[in-house]
Amino acid sequence: MTREELIQKWLDHALTPQELEAFKQLDDYEELTKMHNALQSFKAPIADVETAYETVTSKRKDTSKPTSWLKPLLRIAAILVIGFGAYMYATLPSLTTVETVVANKELLKLPDASEVTLNAVSSVSFNEDTWNEQREINLKGEAYFKVAKGATFNVVTEDGIVTVLGTQFNVKQRNDLFEVFCYEGSVSVTHNSEKVVLTPGQRYLILDGKQIRNEEEMLKEPTWIRNESSFKSLPLREVIQEFERQYDVTVDAKNVDLSQVFTGSFTHTDIDMALKSITIPSQLKYQKKQKSIILKRD
Amino acid sequence: MPKSLNDNICNEVMFSKLFKKHYQNLYSYLYYKFGDYLNPEDKAQEAFTKLWQNCGKVTPEKAKSYVFTVGNNMMLNEVKHHKVVLQHQQTKPRSHTNENPEFLMQEQEYLQKLQRAIGNLTESERTAFLMNRVEGKKHKEIAALLDISAKAVEKRIYRALSKLRVEIEEL
Repeated sequence: MTREELIQKWLDHALTPQELEAFKQLDDYEELTKMHNALQSFKAPIADVETAYETVTSKRKDTSKPTSWLKPLLRIAAILVIGFGAYMYATLPSLTTVETVVANKELLKLPDASEVTLNAVSSVSFNEDTWNEQREINLKGEAYFKVAKGATFNVVTEDGIVTVLGTQFNVKQRNDLFEVFCYEGSVSVTHNSEKVVLTPGQRYLILDGKQIRNEEEMLKEPTWIRNESSFKSLPLREVIQEFERQYDVTVDAKNVDLSQVFTGSFTHTDIDMALKSITIPSQLKYQKKQKSIILKRD
Repeated sequence: MPKSLNDNICNEVMFSKLFKKHYQNLYSYLYYKFGDYLNPEDKAQEAFTKLWQNCGKVTPEKAKSYVFTVGNNMMLNEVKHHKVVLQHQQTKPRSHTNENPEFLMQEQEYLQKLQRAIGNLTESERTAFLMNRVEGKKHKEIAALLDISAKAVEKRIYRALSKLRVEIEEL
């Protein structure tokens, strides 16, 4: 075994007794032992493990405590939130809402035998639970009602309340237009605390806040049910607004007199045909660009 | 993933075991590497405090490496600000005082040389060498503590020894 190997083994504290004897014979032995002994004075101080442990663990309390009480607190909070939510859900009136989008109609059966047909861009909501005691329905937009015989039936709109017993009627409530048409039975309309009773064929029309008288017409049901919107002496802007609701397009009619009166109808199934039915009688021209339509004077 | 209680350092029994196993080693390691000028005991305690505070994030297998790395980094942060003067020497009462004054002086001189030479070693050489000579640790044990191979430890120690011998000879 070479001198270097012996020193290496000595360094690893791995000398066997014989090797130790050989190591002692080395010239370096005295020097190495001297250094080894002297090095002992450089020993790291013995740490006071117990005290250090106390110090370290006492510091933990500050930071670990929040996590230990936060968790159960969160659990309690979660239970409270769920309980509260369930309570609110059980006690709140359960409003059923039905909505239609552009170019869409929907037939809806109410809890009794009554039926509602929703025109495009309209919505109704009603409380299913209390329906049998109180037949009340909120309406935005236009809808045709066939009401089964029974207790009072209220249609609540922003512009007024329509009250009936059992009949067929159409309610249209748009920006500046409020129209009720009675097809069967009798309908009472309350607008600005003024009450009007309609009989079949009669129309109640409020345009820009003014009531407009119309002669009677004998119709069985609104034409829009059969995919055709018809207008009688209404400003062109109402026609165009309805057109935008039936076809998913925007109409640019800046250069057109929108207050001119229109009588006629347009179909919901053929856009070109519909445009012609509007523009020809009004002496207008139209340009179609994808989803926008520009109206111009002829 | 289910964890048994013993897998968690947050368990006080587990933490105390790890603390007793590694605290002195960490303290000595920091002491040999950086000297006692920068208060290695404080750093060792701080490293374990950090382990306590992050007990959920560190597995027991990683705990040793964690405290060594944290302690080392804390030291390095301060080393940036101070250039360390190593103060390895301990004033130890001499057991045999009946030596003649000349011998005592020689002895004192030798210790001073040795101290300077140790200070001139690289950090890694000094740490491995002193752990080996002073703490009496085998190469393998040091390798496990420093997360390096036994061969690397052996080289560092041998190189340190050679450097010390050369330097003491010269002075």
